[in-house]
Amino acid sequence: MQVIEREKVKTDICDLKKKYGDDRSALLPILHELQNKYNYLSDVIMQETAHSLDIHPVEVEGVVSFYSFFRTNKKQGKYVIRLCQTISCDLAGKENVARQLENELGIKFGETTEDRMFTLEYTNCMGMCDKGPAMMVNDRLFARVTPDKVSRIIADCRNNFIKTNFPDIVPSNIVKAGPILENDADKNAGLKKALKMKRPDIISEIKESGLKGRGGAGFPTSVKWQLAAAAKSDKKYVVCNADEGEPGTFKDRYLLYQHTDKLLDGMTIAAYVLGAKKGYIYLRGEYMYLKNMLLDKIEKRKEENLLGEDILGKGIEFDIELRMGAGAYVCGEETALIESLEGNRGEARNRPPFPTDVGLQNHPTTVNNVETFIDSALICAQGADWFKEHGTDQSTGTKLFSVSGDCEDPGIYELPYGITIRDMLSEVGGEEAKAVQVGGAGGQCIPAKQFDRKISYEDVPSGGSIIVFGPDRDMLKVAKNFMEFFVEESCGQCTPCREGNPKLLEGIEMLEEGRCSSSYLDELIKLGETMQVSSKCGLGQSSPNAFLSIVENFKSEVLGRVPQKV
Amino acid sequence: MTDNKEKLDFTEDKSSRRPKSTTPSTVKKPENTDALGAMIKVTIDGKDIKVPMGTTILEAAKELGITIPTLCDHSDLCVAGVCRICVVEVEGQNNLQASCAYPITSPIKVHTHTRKVRQARRHVLDLMLSKHYGECYSCVRNGNCELQDLADQYGVDFYRFGHMEKPDKGTDESSYAIERDMDKCILCRRCVRTCVDLQEVGVYDVLGRGEETHIGTFLDKPMNDVICINCGQCINRCPTGALHAKDPSDVIWEAIDDKNKHVVIQTAPAPRSAIGECFDGVEPGTPLTFEMNTAIRYCGFDKVFDTNFSADLTIIEEGTELIERLYGTLVEGKNESLPQFTSCSPGWVKYIEHFYPEMLKNVSSAKSPQQMFGAVIKTYYAKINDIDPADIVTVALMPCTAKKFECNRPEMNDSGYKDIDYGLTTRELAQMFKEAGIELPKLKKSDFDDPFGTQTGSGVIFGATGGVMESAIRTVYELVSGKKIDDLFDHANVMPVRGFDGIKYAELPIEEVGPVPEILEGKIPNWDWLKGATLKVAVAHGTANAKKVLENIKEGGKLSECHFIEFMACPGGCLGGGGMPIPTNEEIRAARAKAIYAEDEASEVRKSYENPAITKLYSDFFTEGPCSHKSHELLHTGYKVRGKKMV
Repeated sequence: MQVIEREKVKTDICDLKKKYGDDRSALLPILHELQNKYNYLSDVIMQETAHSLDIHPVEVEGVVSFYSFFRTNKKQGKYVIRLCQTISCDLAGKENVARQLENELGIKFGETTEDRMFTLEYTNCMGMCDKGPAMMVNDRLFARVTPDKVSRIIADCRNNFIKTNFPDIVPSNIVKAGPILENDADKNAGLKKALKMKRPDIISEIKESGLKGRGGAGFPTSVKWQLAAAAKSDKKYVVCNADEGEPGTFKDRYLLYQHTDKLLDGMTIAAYVLGAKKGYIYLRGEYMYLKNMLLDKIEKRKEENLLGEDILGKGIEFDIELRMGAGAYVCGEETALIESLEGNRGEARNRPPFPTDVGLQNHPTTVNNVETFIDSALICAQGADWFKEHGTDQSTGTKLFSVSGDCEDPGIYELPYGITIRDMLSEVGGEEAKAVQVGGAGGQCIPAKQFDRKISYEDVPSGGSIIVFGPDRDMLKVAKNFMEFFVEESCGQCTPCREGNPKLLEGIEMLEEGRCSSSYLDELIKLGETMQVSSKCGLGQSSPNAFLSIVENFKSEVLGRVPQKV
Repeated sequence: MTDNKEKLDFTEDKSSRRPKSTTPSTVKKPENTDALGAMIKVTIDGKDIKVPMGTTILEAAKELGITIPTLCDHSDLCVAGVCRICVVEVEGQNNLQASCAYPITSPIKVHTHTRKVRQARRHVLDLMLSKHYGECYSCVRNGNCELQDLADQYGVDFYRFGHMEKPDKGTDESSYAIERDMDKCILCRRCVRTCVDLQEVGVYDVLGRGEETHIGTFLDKPMNDVICINCGQCINRCPTGALHAKDPSDVIWEAIDDKNKHVVIQTAPAPRSAIGECFDGVEPGTPLTFEMNTAIRYCGFDKVFDTNFSADLTIIEEGTELIERLYGTLVEGKNESLPQFTSCSPGWVKYIEHFYPEMLKNVSSAKSPQQMFGAVIKTYYAKINDIDPADIVTVALMPCTAKKFECNRPEMNDSGYKDIDYGLTTRELAQMFKEAGIELPKLKKSDFDDPFGTQTGSGVIFGATGGVMESAIRTVYELVSGKKIDDLFDHANVMPVRGFDGIKYAELPIEEVGPVPEILEGKIPNWDWLKGATLKVAVAHGTANAKKVLENIKEGGKLSECHFIEFMACPGGCLGGGGMPIPTNEEIRAARAKAIYAEDEASEVRKSYENPAITKLYSDFFTEGPCSHKSHELLHTGYKVRGKKMV
C-alpha cells in the first residue's frame, strides 16, 4: 500500500514539475497542489518532492514549517476552521466566537474532532478587519461571525455547503471614494497612453507625480523603476506585492477584486519601462478565493492582446504568472517575497544589493504594491498634475485607508494624504477614540493628544491601516495582541527580532500581573530601541513600535496593575 | 610533461540545485581595481582606507586593524547577516548595519563603538545568553567558545533578560561521531551553511518560524537516522558547544589503566601538523610529531605507531588494484569499473553510499589506512609479539570524526576482533594531554615505535588534499617505468595535484616501461600494454566538489576518462578534518599543509614501496603479495548501498 502511495506521489510531482518548472522556484506551487490533493504534506511527500527538485528533504521541511498554511499533521479535519486572532477581529469580539466554536465542537484550538471533520486553528489577519470577527473554513470566508452564527456555519459544513446562506466572497465597504476609486477613464487608457510614450517619459511623469510606494515604506516609485530600468541584465522582473498582511489592511483585497484591469495595466507599464518580459503577482494565501478570478482576467487579457508576445501590436512581450503565498506576514517585505517566489523560506535578504539590481533569480526586479501599480496606470492616463491635486508636497495624491476598530463606519476610505487624524476620525465616526494605530502592527499608536498629527510620509506614515481604539479599550491588551503577532510572524532569522519580541511580550505579561518594575520597563524600552535599529528587515525594525508607543503614551495605565483573578 | 594542471570550469553548474551561497548577497568586487571608481574611500573610527567596491565594512575594518565582533560570519561560508552582533553605525543612516553583510559602494563614514552600537551588541548578546544553556564548566568548548569570549569582552556580569537554568531539549547522542546539544545553539546557521552549501550533504536546515525557529534535521530525526556523512565540518564551524564529537577519552584512559590491556595508538599525518594549535602560543603549521610521541607515552599508551605505515600499505594495495583494473580493461577486455575512486576518507565513502550508490563499484575495495592498521595490529603484530589480540586495544588518532563511525562499521572486524576500537580526534588527544598535565610544545622529541614507525613522506602527505594521489603517482610511476619520478618533478613533488583548487586534474604520460617489479610478479606478465599510455587523474576535496566530479562522470564529461580519482570529504583534505582544532579557515589550513609538505621533504623514504616495514610485511605475512587472498581478507572491504531514502 505504502509503495503504491509513494509511486503515486512521485508521478504527481513529475506532472507538477511540467506545469511549474523543475527548479526550486516551483516548490511552493507544487506543495500547494500536493496539499490540496492529499490533505496534508506527509513525510514521504516532503522527501520525494525534495529528491525530485534535487534539494534536501530537510530544506523542504524548512519551507513547509515556515508557512502557516502548510500542514504536516495527518490528523487534520476535513474542515479547517481558522479564526482571525489579530487586533481588529480581537476588538470585534473574536474571543466569544472562539469560546462558542470550542463549545460546539467539544475541542480546543489546535485540536481536531474525533470524527476528523473539524480542526480549530487561529490565524493572523486575513484582511477582513472591517467585518470582524472573521474566519475561514478551508478557502471559504465568513465575516462578522457572532457566537450565534457558529452553529449554523458548522451545520453548513456538515452538509458540504450544499445549501448555505453565506456568500462566497465578502466584499468590502467603500465608505468614501475619491479620484482613484471613482476614476472613469477608459478601460486600459493608462496602458494605451503609456505604450505610446518613450520609457524615460513615463519615468518622468511618475516622478513628476511624486508617487511613493503605497505599501507603507514610501520609496519613490519612479526611482525604483529607473534603477531597475538602468540595471544591465538579460532578464528583468516585475512583481506585484499582493501579500497584504499588515493587520488592519484590506484595501488591496478590494482593488484586486474590483480594479484588476488597472492593476494589470500598471504592471504592464512597469514591464515596458524596465524591459521585463515576465511578471508575478504574489497573492497571499489568505486570498486564495481571488485566485481563479485573477487567472481568468490574465487569460482574458491574453486574448485581448493586452498580455502576451506582442502587446497592442507594439512588439512588447510580457506575461504574468500568479503565485500563491502560504501564510507568512514577513513575505510582504520585498526581499522576503522574492525569496518566497524562489521557493525558499520567506526570509529577508541583506540589503544592499537592492532588488532593483539583484532581485528575483538575481535579476533586476521591481516589487510594487497593488495600489502603486493602479496609481501608476492612472497617472499615465490622467497625468501627473491630476494626481498632485491632492495631498501634500511630499505625500502627493489620495490614499486608500482601511479603517477598522471602534468606529461607526469601518471600511475603505479614499482620502488625501495630509489629513489629520482628528479629521479622519470624524469621517469614520470615531471621535471618542483614545488612540489610533496608524500603519498596522508595525505602525505607531497615536494617543488623543496627538490627533492633530497628519497622516503622511513626513509625519505619521501609513500603508493604509487605521485601527481605532475606543475610550474603554485596555491599551495593554492591545499591545499584547500586537506582540503576540510579531512573536509568531518573525521569520526567526535575526537575533533582535526573534528573541526580542518574546522578551517584550514577556514584559507585557509582567505588566498585566502588576509585577514589572519601572527600571525593567526602561530596560525593555531600550531593547525595543535596539530592535528598531539593529534588526535585519523592516518587520523586525518596526515590531517594537506599537509596544514603545503604548508604554510611552499610556505609562500610568500599564504600570502598577492589580492582577485579575481568573 | 604533466604540469599542464588544467583548470576545469565548473562554474556553470548544470544541476538544477542552486546552493544559497551562490546568491550574490553582496556586491561583486571589480576585476580591475585600477578602473575609475573601483576603489572607494571609507573612514572607520576616523581612519581612512581605500578598498575595492563591494568590500564589506568588516573586511575594511580588519585591514585597518579594527576588531568588530562576529558570530554568524565565517570566512568559509556565504554571508548570513543574521546574528547582528557585528552591527556598526554608518553616518547618515538611522539604522545600524551588519558590517559582515554591508558591501561598500560609496564613500561612507563608519563608527564601530558608539553608544548605540554598544547597547545594540550588548542586547544581542543578552538575548542570546537568555536562550543559551551556558553550563560553561562542563562544556567541551570551555575556553574555546566564541560566545563565552564575547560575554567576557562585553563584561557580561548579569543576565539582563534571564537565563536558561535547565536543559530543555537535551543532547542527541545517537551518532557514533557527532553529538548535538541544541540548548547551546544560538541560531547562527553556520552548521546549515556548512552542511547545505559547503558540503552539499543537507543534514540540517532552519525549521519553524518566529519563536519556534530552530536548527533541525529532517523530521527532527536523531543524527543516527539521517543522511549524515559524519564529516564534522559543522563542529569545526560551530561557535559554541552545540555541536561536538563523541569523545572516547574516558574509556581510553580506562584501557590504559587496565594492566591487562595492551593499548596501541596509531597517529595519522594531519593531527601532528595541528595539535599545537590547542596549546597557548603555538602558531598554526607548527608540527609537533615527535613531541606528541613523548606525550603519548607519558599518558601511558604502550606503543605509538605511525599511520604512515598503513598509508603506504594502502598505496600498494590500492595501486595494485588499479593496475589490475587497467589490465583487465585494456588487455583482457573485461569491463572493469574505471575511474577507480580512493576509499581512505570515510566521510566520502558514506557520501557515495548515500548519494551515488550506483557508482560504488568504482570505489577501491582497499580499506582506509586506519582500518588496515587495525587489522594488521590484531593479526600480524599480535602474532609476532605473542599477544592475545583480545587484550589489544587499538586507538586511532585521526583528524576526523567520520573515523569514529568507520571503526564501528560492523564489517570492520576481519581480524576476528574490532579492528580499531576507538577513533580519537586531534582535539580529544590534546585534551588528554592537558588532563595529564602535559605542556606539549615543551616536551622532548622521541621516535615512533618499531615495527611500524618509519617516517615516510609518501604517508605523511595523505594529510593534505592531493596527497594520496601524489603518493600513488610516485609509486606507480616508478614501478611501471623503472625510472625515478624525480626526473619528472623536482624533488618528487608532484605539484599539479597539490593546492586547494576544488577539483584538480593532471595527466601523466608513460613513455617507457621497465621490468615488472618483484612485488607484482605473477599479477601481470609485463608493462608493454602501458607503454605510450597517458594516466589521467583527478583530485577533489569537499563533498560539494565530489558531487561535481561524479556528475561530470555521469554526463560522460572529461573526468569520465580519468583512471584514478582521489576524493576527500573535507575541504583541504584531512588537514581540514572535522576532528581538527577549532577554528578553521583557509589560512590555517594552508599553514597545516605547509607543515605536512615540509615533513615530506625531510623524510628519507618518500615512496610507499620503499618503506622497509612494507617490504617486510609482504615477505613475512602477506606472502602472496598485494591484492592476494589473504590481503583481501584483512585489508579490503565492501560497501553498502544506502541511498537517500529516510522515510
